[in-house]
Amino acid sequence: MLTKDKIILLICLIFLFYIEGFAYEKGKIKPLPPVPIPKDNPMTKEKIELGKKLFFDRRLSGDGTMSCASCHNPEKAFTDGSEISLSYPTTRNLRNAPTLINSAYAKFLFWDGRAKSLEEQAEFPIMSPFEMNQNLDFLEEEIRAVPEYREAFKRVFGQDVNIKLITKAIAAFERTLVSKNAPIDRYLRGDKNALSNEAKKGYQIFKGKGRCIKCHYGAYLSDQKFHALMVPENPKYANEEKFIVTRRYVAKINKYPDYMNVKEDLGRYFNTKKQKDYKAFKTPTLREIAKTAPYMHNGIFKSLDEVIEFFNKGGGKGNKVLKPLNLTEEEKRALKTFLIEALSGEDLDIKPPDIP
Amino acid sequence: MKEFEGKIKLVIKFFPYRYRDYSIIAAEAAVEAWKQGKFQQMHNLLIKNSPRLDRDSLIVYAKKLDMDIEKFIRAIDNQQGASIIERDIKLAKELDIYGTPAFFINGIKVLGVREKSYFKEIILKELENVNKR
Repeated sequence: MLTKDKIILLICLIFLFYIEGFAYEKGKIKPLPPVPIPKDNPMTKEKIELGKKLFFDRRLSGDGTMSCASCHNPEKAFTDGSEISLSYPTTRNLRNAPTLINSAYAKFLFWDGRAKSLEEQAEFPIMSPFEMNQNLDFLEEEIRAVPEYREAFKRVFGQDVNIKLITKAIAAFERTLVSKNAPIDRYLRGDKNALSNEAKKGYQIFKGKGRCIKCHYGAYLSDQKFHALMVPENPKYANEEKFIVTRRYVAKINKYPDYMNVKEDLGRYFNTKKQKDYKAFKTPTLREIAKTAPYMHNGIFKSLDEVIEFFNKGGGKGNKVLKPLNLTEEEKRALKTFLIEALSGEDLDIKPPDIP
Repeated sequence: MKEFEGKIKLVIKFFPYRYRDYSIIAAEAAVEAWKQGKFQQMHNLLIKNSPRLDRDSLIVYAKKLDMDIEKFIRAIDNQQGASIIERDIKLAKELDIYGTPAFFINGIKVLGVREKSYFKEIILKELENVNKR
């Protein structure tokens, strides 16, 4: 028979179990739903084709050497595979280029989340002096000067070329870049053979001891929030003159008062000036992660092994978000297998179109 | 290169950035250095001293390398390397290359500045493929 003490102990144990279970199951991974389409930018085949041409068109850069595809290269899963993204000639970029695959599901774009839609996002790199370095008004005229483009804009939008329509077309193309047939989606829809046993084990670690799911959940595998994990500065760039110039510039245009002496990338704090955003960066999606190395906002980790080790040790020095995970070697291997095997869709076959 | 001596060959092509004042004349200097058997040394000096690549600076570098200065000046002033430089620019465009540095390792395109380890991994894989054949 249960004594009063035993009943209290049992209730406490159930409560603890519930708390732990709740923490690990806070979010769930979901299969990818249809892409959300903004009401003011419906998708049409012709608009997507126009957006694709603009995406690959080097007219979008000031010196005609770079297109969106320079840093979001279809052959590299719409990244450029560089630690710090490729830059406008003679300059240095500041951060790693994230993949565009599944960006249609992102609530915030850029590592610091300064854009809230793909349409809004597209303007930034075009006018950034260290990315494409183009003037938006000038670009309008350059595109308008091409008869094929002018006709296409009339057909697609019923209007003449303007920068807002340029970014709408690009965003429509980007919304077609979605993971295809990823094993995790098949598994979540009921195909229990879609994952190997090792990947299934990794999935349990992802949801449980690895605590990955605390931030990487939902269809997009991201909480769509910003966290200061205190990822170290990339030592290869931190003291490089051109990198310092870019960092100061970013701080300056965001009206950071002491921009001359900024020594680190302060992430979202540059934009919001809120203490909670100090050195915070967006939780990236983990979909297609095997194809999008190097990792983190400054590309400091070359491999998933390095990333897993970073999280296993409890993140960067002084962070208040992560705790050591104490994963065994076997658990780390299984987790890596899950990330590689389950989250990789079929390669997207996007070829550069003919540019008018 | 030293690590893979005898196994790989490095071919350098010119792609002077069209919006840099001295990129063409620097490429001319490199072509003439190549003709005088000093390409590698000149290449290293150009990289090290960039952006100080004006005519006078180039002549100083040529003197440092003990080149035939009269010939060097004649070459850069008369753009004697133009056909080689233009040939390379044309090739770059055919390969859809618009920026530097760009590399092709056994046909594998690599754009931008990369770590030594990044190249090494590709080279090792390609050497392995060659050995399998």
